[in-house]
Amino acid sequence: MSGSINRDDVRRNQHLLPAFPRTIERVLATLDDPDANLNLLVSLIERDPALIGQILEQANSVAVRTRPDMRICNMFTATSMIGLARIRRTVIATSMAGFLNDTLPPGLAGRFWEHSCAVGVCAQQLAIHCHHSGDMALIAGMLHDVGQLWLYRHEPDAFLAARDDCRINGCRIEEAERRQFGVDHTLIGAWLAESWDLPGPLRNAILHHHKPEQAASEPLVAVTHIAEVLSAALGLNGDDSRVTHLSTDACATLKLTWDESVTGLFGRIDAVSQSMAGFFRSQGPARRAENAVAGN
Amino acid sequence: MAPQADRNTFISRETRLRYLPFAEIEAGMVIGRALNLSDRNILRLHLPAGHVLTDGNLRQLYANGAEFVCVAMPETRSPEQIAADTADSAGRTLRIFADADLSEPTMAALFDCVLSYRSK
Repeated sequence: MSGSINRDDVRRNQHLLPAFPRTIERVLATLDDPDANLNLLVSLIERDPALIGQILEQANSVAVRTRPDMRICNMFTATSMIGLARIRRTVIATSMAGFLNDTLPPGLAGRFWEHSCAVGVCAQQLAIHCHHSGDMALIAGMLHDVGQLWLYRHEPDAFLAARDDCRINGCRIEEAERRQFGVDHTLIGAWLAESWDLPGPLRNAILHHHKPEQAASEPLVAVTHIAEVLSAALGLNGDDSRVTHLSTDACATLKLTWDESVTGLFGRIDAVSQSMAGFFRSQGPARRAENAVAGN
Repeated sequence: MAPQADRNTFISRETRLRYLPFAEIEAGMVIGRALNLSDRNILRLHLPAGHVLTDGNLRQLYANGAEFVCVAMPETRSPEQIAADTADSAGRTLRIFADADLSEPTMAALFDCVLSYRSK
């Protein structure tokens, strides 16, 4: 095991990861103010050419089916056409993509990105199903494993050894990381979230997503834990999909019962995952690498 | 069996419910589960289960930012194909849950829900 990592190590070495996107902080700051949201989102989008392109492409891909002669070029028209929730998700996901890309080597980056997106979509839909904030859940789902990025940048060989340990010996990734680093990615992620001044519920969701019993009263912790389980249960992590643990306490926190009522939730997760797949792929590391090679 | 339509769900032996992204929705499809689109707790659009979508509905759905719709799709598979698909889905679900403790009631309930959903 390399020397045990502590909070100060993580704070001192924040630069191992890119700066946390301010756009997401601004979105987080106004989640409870729907009137401010549209104006704010449009102003955020208009500062970022990548976001402008994404939003116009989405708006036109929908518009062409119902009004073939219509071409949307105006950001306010586009935002009002495709809906606030979808705009917000695009802003969050595009910002997250910029943050996550280039942090891991290509093979790992692709899997990490797909898993983060799958858990994000599951968290968003689960939160809506249980009458909680879908936006905060989306961010928690996309960020839940951010500690793994830092661990990789800190000591790539030890990080890969932990993954091999997990794969060969069938142990949980947190145990393998604790053997290598003295701490696991959940604690590292929570320290990063603290250093970025992210809201307490988000920090706790990152910290407790493998052991939600330790924060049983916090819905976002329960949402993030169950979302990760659902992403595996529905096979959204590809061949890596494995369900090992589901917290009964987390289900109780959300008053979630596993009966016929979740069929709609599963269907919505599948539909949104399908709807977002092209977008997520276009933002992922593999596609970005292709674009770089093509000189785009 | 004649199609059964209550206020919320439309199902018959010849159909199966599917949640489809808006990009795949077409006029003529039948709403499988009642659709309620609301904005800030105000109901903007309601389409009942069993309703046949029109071009006008598509424009309404588009204008209200619908992202997906539950439709009752005609069942076009043969009984043999249905059985094979069900077996494939069950096999995949079993592999996903291979390391799970299915004697634990919550886990068992999740497994049953996923198996049932993937078998439809």
